[in-house]
Amino acid sequence: MSFWSEKGSIAEQCWKNGHPDFPVYDMHGHMGGHYAIYFNRCEPAAVVEHMKRAGVKHLVFSHHYALWEPTFRNERVYEMCREFPEHLRFYVAINPHYPEHIKEDLAQFDRWQPYVVGIKMLAGYHQVNVTDKKYEYALSFANERGIPVLNHTWGGRGHYNDGPSMLQIVQKYPNAIFFHGHSIFGDYEYAEKVVKESSGKSYLELTAVCGENEMIERFCSLVGSEKLLYGTDMPWFDEFQGIGGIVAAKISDTDKRNILCDNVERILGKEW
Amino acid sequence: MEDIKFFDCNCRLGLPMNGGRCAADTAALIAELNYAGVEKALVRHTNTDVAIYFSNDLVTNWVKADTENRLTGVWTILPSQCHELPEPDEFFNSFKANRIGAITLYPQEHRYVPCRLTLGKILDAAAERKVPVLLNGFAGQWTALYNFMKEFPDITCIYVEKGGKWGSDRNIRPLLENYAGFHFETAGYWVPEGLRDLADEFGAEKIIYGSNFPSYNHGNGMLQLKHCGLSADKVAMIAGQNLENLLKGAQL
Repeated sequence: MSFWSEKGSIAEQCWKNGHPDFPVYDMHGHMGGHYAIYFNRCEPAAVVEHMKRAGVKHLVFSHHYALWEPTFRNERVYEMCREFPEHLRFYVAINPHYPEHIKEDLAQFDRWQPYVVGIKMLAGYHQVNVTDKKYEYALSFANERGIPVLNHTWGGRGHYNDGPSMLQIVQKYPNAIFFHGHSIFGDYEYAEKVVKESSGKSYLELTAVCGENEMIERFCSLVGSEKLLYGTDMPWFDEFQGIGGIVAAKISDTDKRNILCDNVERILGKEW
Repeated sequence: MEDIKFFDCNCRLGLPMNGGRCAADTAALIAELNYAGVEKALVRHTNTDVAIYFSNDLVTNWVKADTENRLTGVWTILPSQCHELPEPDEFFNSFKANRIGAITLYPQEHRYVPCRLTLGKILDAAAERKVPVLLNGFAGQWTALYNFMKEFPDITCIYVEKGGKWGSDRNIRPLLENYAGFHFETAGYWVPEGLRDLADEFGAEKIIYGSNFPSYNHGNGMLQLKHCGLSADKVAMIAGQNLENLLKGAQL
């Protein structure tokens, strides 16, 4: 008998119904087209339809254009979310090359409630290290308010969002809640450090990890499932594939539920 | 989940040269297949790119150790002119007895040009017999793959990803459109409901489930396929029937 057939398990629910019997939170998404790939489903209506089928209650995203095209401002993302108030939430996309945009957009943070959740940094693509002064205003803002900061992170050393750099900002801004996108992929040493040597508000986010054989098991062992968050990079990766990667991991149902739902509710509550 | 029979076309067995995730032997792989509910697998050696002489024999032995007939082996080919493999007739005539069902190739690692001069004899024989050719050796190497398909347009083949996770529609779709024998394997193609789009446009018979185990677990792609929005019949085709048909269609 396969793990899909275990009576009452999360895997069985997902296999039969396409989703578990609790809400799933996808904490790492995007929206809109991207130059490097063809997407058939990347606009809000299609994304939300896909989410609903997979039982994803909220997707928190930063818009591709807001990250890549400076004339596309976060106000437009807020308007998108307002069209899908039950499902879409967003991170303020931060481009370190446009400090006036950062200040102007973060000044709208309260007005953009309840759709805005935190800020998103993409240091590897903007080619400014996360420790650079150009991020200080945004990170101080997050630190003062205790809000989430999602970073694109990756393994290896000597680049803009590597493990040692992430550890520096985690320790410099102890009140901000750091979501390490892609879990500093491949750098287990610093994935563990950024969680264990933080103030306790540091989480590994699993985009691109879901489905990797034995990786989620290893992260559970290193930092505990209470420190892991589910994400897909939507519209890059399929929700069923991502959830499938979690439920296929050889961890307990408590661990799976922590990753897909409970950790986020402990951070942000049930209604947000 | 026994409603769908999964036959994994992208599965590796054996110890990697540099360590890492693996199923070391037949028993370990069968245990993984049982855990995930995968009925069968087309298996190649995880080390075939660097240990070709040894790996074909190991695959043969691993398949023999599978007493439930759930594994079918993949052997690696090389250019004919160095006489490192038997002549095509002898080579393919030994497939059935050894439960070998497909071939693969690694032109980059084995350092040759994949063209008619090097591979014409053996790949013409494979095309004639409709023996499936796994194209894992071309993963992400689009120019080389396009050139290869121009040279061998009549082969029955399955493009198999290695580690790529970005949907490669801009490169895959032209191949699906232009080569009748070209099939696409699902592992690493994580585009939301993209499997449905590919099947709708090019036919579900062109898509084949693969796991890329042991790099990926089996389950993520299984759930993605199950809920991609296709009918149950088409899901079953992609999950296992298409590969079964390709292997049965080979004249061995």
